[in-house]
Amino acid sequence: MKVLAVCGFGVGSSMVLKMALDKVAKDLGIKVEVENTDLSTAKATEADAYFTSAELVSELENSVKNPVYPIHKFMDKNEVKEQFEKYLATLKEE
Amino acid sequence: MDNKLYEIFNEKNVIIENKDMTWQEAVKIASEPLLKEGKITDVYVENMMKNVEVNGPYMVLTDYFALMHAKAGEGVNEVSMSLLVNNKNIDLEGKPVRIFMVLASVDKSSHLEYLQKISEILLDEDNFNTILHGEKEKILQILKNN
Repeated sequence: MKVLAVCGFGVGSSMVLKMALDKVAKDLGIKVEVENTDLSTAKATEADAYFTSAELVSELENSVKNPVYPIHKFMDKNEVKEQFEKYLATLKEE
Repeated sequence: MDNKLYEIFNEKNVIIENKDMTWQEAVKIASEPLLKEGKITDVYVENMMKNVEVNGPYMVLTDYFALMHAKAGEGVNEVSMSLLVNNKNIDLEGKPVRIFMVLASVDKSSHLEYLQKISEILLDEDNFNTILHGEKEKILQILKNN
């Protein structure tokens, strides 16, 4: 499973989000490869799911085929966990 | 990793306050030590405030914590950070903040190791609560250990 953490410049906030996703995945005992990147690179990068700020969701959704989840507070573990679990739930349905 | 937080945080750039202030005042207070040491210029302080005005309060990464930053290299002479903890809530465009961390980077990568360590510390609930409670000695201790 590969997921992307995306922010506007790919320098600061996306790395913070990546670390939160890593931590959540570890807590849940799930193996996942998380990469962080900027919006334009993300558009051209294939991943199973994308996590980004609410403002960037629609732009990213237009360019990628897999689901995009909004995160309002990149370091809020509860919110990140909730969104990550939403993605996991879609896997079970398939 | 080679870069340690204790190389960047010290007695002078960790500030504890306990008063009502606006977020603009908080950014200025937090930036003061870096300005004095010549690590950043007024341009960077203005750019951080503009970033909030233009892009909204996305730098509030979790409740009570804002990572203030602006474009790398503009008004930055040296990669540097500072920390202001206020014991009263400060309104940042609708979000309550007590911890203002200033991050100034010269390029796109030199600050990443520091940011990674900071994230590790803040994602730990015990450490986060210690910082939020604003006891300078304890905060410096956490930063020195990483």
